Amino acid sequence: MTEKLLEVNNLTTSFKIGSEYFPAVDDVSLSIQPNEVLALVGESGSGKSATAFSLMGLHRKARIEGEVNFQGQNLLKLNEGKMNKIRGGDLAMIFQDPMTALNPLMKIKQQIIETLKIHNTKAKNEREAYAVELLDRVGIPRPDRVAEAYPHELSGGMRQRVVIAIAIANRPKLLIADEPTTALDVTIQAQILDLIRELQDDLNSGVLLITHDLGVVAEMADRVAVMYAGQIVEVAPVRELFKNPQHPYTRSLLNSLPTESMLGSKLHVIQGVVPALNKMDRTGCRFAPRIPWVPASEHEKNPKLREIADDHYVRCTCYKNFSLGSETPQNIDAEEYQIETGARGGSVR
Amino acid sequence: MNLLEIKDLKVHYPIKGGFFNTVKDHVKAVDGVSISIPEGTTYGLVGESGSGKTTTGKAVMGLNHVTSGEIFFDGQKLNSKGKKVDVRDDIQMIFQDPYSSLNPRKRVFDIVAEPIRNYHKKTRGELVPEVLGLLQRVGLPPGSLYKYPHEFSGGQRQRIGVARAIALNPKLIIADEPVSALDVSVQAQVLNFMQDIQQDMNLTMMFIAHDLGVVRHMCRHIGIMYQGRLVEEGRTEEIFKNPQHIYTKRLIAAIPDTDVDEIENNLAFRQMVKEEYDRNFADHLDEEGRAFPLQSITETHRVALPVKG
Repeated sequence: MTEKLLEVNNLTTSFKIGSEYFPAVDDVSLSIQPNEVLALVGESGSGKSATAFSLMGLHRKARIEGEVNFQGQNLLKLNEGKMNKIRGGDLAMIFQDPMTALNPLMKIKQQIIETLKIHNTKAKNEREAYAVELLDRVGIPRPDRVAEAYPHELSGGMRQRVVIAIAIANRPKLLIADEPTTALDVTIQAQILDLIRELQDDLNSGVLLITHDLGVVAEMADRVAVMYAGQIVEVAPVRELFKNPQHPYTRSLLNSLPTESMLGSKLHVIQGVVPALNKMDRTGCRFAPRIPWVPASEHEKNPKLREIADDHYVRCTCYKNFSLGSETPQNIDAEEYQIETGARGGSVR
Repeated sequence: MNLLEIKDLKVHYPIKGGFFNTVKDHVKAVDGVSISIPEGTTYGLVGESGSGKTTTGKAVMGLNHVTSGEIFFDGQKLNSKGKKVDVRDDIQMIFQDPYSSLNPRKRVFDIVAEPIRNYHKKTRGELVPEVLGLLQRVGLPPGSLYKYPHEFSGGQRQRIGVARAIALNPKLIIADEPVSALDVSVQAQVLNFMQDIQQDMNLTMMFIAHDLGVVRHMCRHIGIMYQGRLVEEGRTEEIFKNPQHIYTKRLIAAIPDTDVDEIENNLAFRQMVKEEYDRNFADHLDEEGRAFPLQSITETHRVALPVKG
């Protein structure tokens, strides 16, 4: 195995609700090599974004435990000043919502120059030209004019390109892309994905791609980690994951997609909802309540990720005899519709 | 028989400017769209943001002004100048965002009962069982009746939106991106039960979406919009198996597929289509940059191609 770019060990990020801490990211370990795209998938509330924000050190009030090793340093031990040197430099992030990620009061070029200034990239008099060059690089037509524009003058796709231009300004070694194309139309999505692929090749960087779009995952990723309720439940190379998915959650997700083979038939529905952070049963298999037809004896008491094939890891033993269609009642128990109160992981920052 | 017929619909917005704030130009949000939807079927309206699909839906609802064109519902003209035909109880809308389309200060009971109260004088005692029946229909437990929207997840909220939309037994539902704010697993729930309800109530639906996979799953006919005009229209399988307009081809090629064996091919195909699009797209527009009028290829399949000759 080659040198790892990022190694996350037992990352646990807990948020305070009331007087107690609840882990939104629970004992997550993952690694990324240079030039590798690792996709992190899961429903909203599964802890994908909380993981990304923890890596970037953007959670101020959360309690974060574990290790995030990047370039020989544990990022979680660094103070804010040192973190600022890395953040936006070797470790950069593309945010989900281009409408809010940009400062509405600053011209596009100022926003790019700002990050160049912080990381001392390029001489002062070269920065403006470099900003325009970056805009050109991400495929913005007439970059010199866009540089002088304010964010509200640009369309969503253009703004997302600007966000990407800022992220790659300092040639990051690791790029964290949090739902980079969710807000965009398919044709623009295709362009943005091409762009990320191209830049990654060019800079030889690693990418942590967070998304809930399994089509995007299939196209972009080298490896995939599936998250449910704060835990990674399955990790596998992309081909293996789509060809031979094992964990019941992964299989349920893949079957709920309206693909060509599902035409004319009912889509698979996962019963119930993702449990709220403060109402979650943290003992045993967390997916068990949503596959009630699987007998308790199939689950492990204390589910661990195990390697079942080369590079393919699955949590819990319930995948072994799992079948999707065995029992999918039309009417979901009223009990399943427990009110969800309290905050979800992503909203407490 | 067509329940909804839209003929040459135009919705233009004036751009004002200059010294006296005079009308300089028009934004042609919808520019000559004709759609007919047979009773009991679902028509998918697809396009990128800004293509005019929502504006078309809203024009049918009477939520924005119509510059010209005619909208017929069940044989009655909706946008006539003089006497207004009140069919609003027959046409209902499901909105995109289940987080903002429900009043956070109203309880589920009041949200769902509101359209009924608008049209019928009913006592509370009559309304409660009616609302409960609707909740049951969309798969929400009776206990939801006196809860507030924030107590529900996204999928459940969208169910409340659907319960409100079907409260008056409408004939036509306009669903504007009903699942684009939802996770795939929740999306599957909502799509399944929308299909059920449609069959049960023999509803006609206009399904506005940008996700072609969802549209293919839900709709019998599809219309593709580009900059306020339809560029292609036909049965779902015609659009997917035999797309004719370069824009449709590009849209279909851009959908990421989960079939890992085909990825290389898909990417190559997408690149090819994109090159063809970049090279030839101008030929698919007239001098003013508008799509050509639709021409029939088969009985159901119509494409905006330049007139031959």
